[in-house]
Amino acid sequence: MIEVRDLWKKYRRPHLKVTSLKEAVLAFLRGQTGYVEFWALEDITFAVSPGEAVGVIGPNGSGKSTLFALLARVLEPTRGSIKVEGRVCPLLELGTGFHPELCGRDNVYLNASLLGLSRDEVESRYQDIVGFAELPEVMDAPVKTYSSGMVVRLGFSVAVHMDPDVLLIDEVLSVGDEYFQHKSLDRLMQFKRAGKTIFVVSHDLNAVERLCERSFWIQAGRLVMDGPSPQVIQAYREAVDRQERGGGQASRCSR
Amino acid sequence: MRELVELWRFREVLFNLVRRNLKVRYKNSVLGFFWSLLNPLMQIAVWWLVFKVILGNEQKDYTAELITGFLPWLFFSQCVLDSTACVTQEMALVKKAYFPRAILPLSALFSNLIHLGFAFLVAVILFIIWRVDVNVHYLLVIPGTLLVSVFAYGISTMVAAWSVFYSDVKFIVGNLLGLWFFLTPVLYPLNLVLQKRVEDADNLLKGMINWALPYIKSLYLLDPVAISMLGYRSGLLRGGQNPIIVPLDLGPAEQAASAAEKAHLIAQAEAQARATEAALRAQYPILHYVIGASLIALATAIVGHLIFRRLSRVFAERG
Repeated sequence: MIEVRDLWKKYRRPHLKVTSLKEAVLAFLRGQTGYVEFWALEDITFAVSPGEAVGVIGPNGSGKSTLFALLARVLEPTRGSIKVEGRVCPLLELGTGFHPELCGRDNVYLNASLLGLSRDEVESRYQDIVGFAELPEVMDAPVKTYSSGMVVRLGFSVAVHMDPDVLLIDEVLSVGDEYFQHKSLDRLMQFKRAGKTIFVVSHDLNAVERLCERSFWIQAGRLVMDGPSPQVIQAYREAVDRQERGGGQASRCSR
Repeated sequence: MRELVELWRFREVLFNLVRRNLKVRYKNSVLGFFWSLLNPLMQIAVWWLVFKVILGNEQKDYTAELITGFLPWLFFSQCVLDSTACVTQEMALVKKAYFPRAILPLSALFSNLIHLGFAFLVAVILFIIWRVDVNVHYLLVIPGTLLVSVFAYGISTMVAAWSVFYSDVKFIVGNLLGLWFFLTPVLYPLNLVLQKRVEDADNLLKGMINWALPYIKSLYLLDPVAISMLGYRSGLLRGGQNPIIVPLDLGPAEQAASAAEKAHLIAQAEAQARATEAALRAQYPILHYVIGASLIALATAIVGHLIFRRLSRVFAERG
């Protein structure tokens, strides 16, 4: 169960690059604040029940990843509330939690503990994690020697074995080879049947339509449309078409 | 309280990060973990060469004094240096996963505690070889380590948080640590500072220094790092004795003409040293300074933690 109510998130975007004390002092003396404030998310309200898979679509910079970061508690809302029941598990994109010098085994333990698993829990699932990623023979080699596909497979495998109540997947569906994509999609379907909640951010609208019966269309920080995936995706596609016909990128920069 | 529960819940992360820090630091080096012992040994060897061999320091057990002072210093300085990068290095994690951010400076702290533990073992082995008496007073290193750890946590959290926003912090910290090192009694005996006097305070500047000197000396002794070193020295080398000591000045005795005169001069020097020592101990009641330094360490830790907590909310936005 996820309940998001009147969620607003303000960002500061530095318009001067202030990364040293000298620059900060100079900017302060000139009376410049050094940043512009803008709303990355405005007035978002929704509720999602267990067993639902929700696709989040929209153009770059519309606030999709910000929404995920808020759900994962990485960011704090400026206004409004987020209520999440159960364990939220963000799928760390491309194995961001992995350290290249460590071997696969150590990385699994580190990554899993970051996602909230105890040592015993990791131990009992370790074989399944390695088995699902199909990487048993390289687990003692440093991750820097893996191909990018192998890293993603391992990262995905760790995430789905967390037994999360809410899984956040940001733009990672299209990685791995064809075979692994099918396998992971199956896994996500299994999740849904088990009554878990899944959020998917993706620009692959077909994948969203296949996996999610419900979709959010987010544009310029606002929840433009919330409804059954086919309708939302169609409306989004039409909007993109209109934009293409009416002068390309113009509307994207209107904010 | 809620923070502590949260930290406990994520203890595995801390454990794994410490393990990773230790594994990764000496990756791709042939001697591997031995560097954590060789590095301080080399450093001490350099000072030994400069101060003992070249400058001919006559202080008793100077090498042992060097080692006991250097152990807590190395721990403290390495902690603070590591903390400049502890958040920025893990930005990928900070931006993606929730965990109590205090785990990052804590992981630097615990990694260095483990290094300290190993270095300490080597020191004890050396002491046994040198026949320094190993006794129950060695336990004084425990409160000594605790004190410097609490203080290091406070400084580390501040440094870690500010480093996310300003890369200048790293350079400032490096320079300040270089100065701080000489403001602690690693290379020279403590009484040198406590007995410092301004000769003929005839001009304004000297007068001002003369006026400020007692306060400077008090501040010097309130430094948790210095107190921790004194704890180490007292425990490891002096059987728990008050660390304020005045060594004998045997200069005059050495030039004595006869054995009888020499014995007399030695007795005189000894009486003088004991008298000065007693005066210094009365003037600087060590227990008060230990309590003062502990309070300072605790206050620093709390302030550091609060600053870190406040700023850590926006780490993911600003990194």
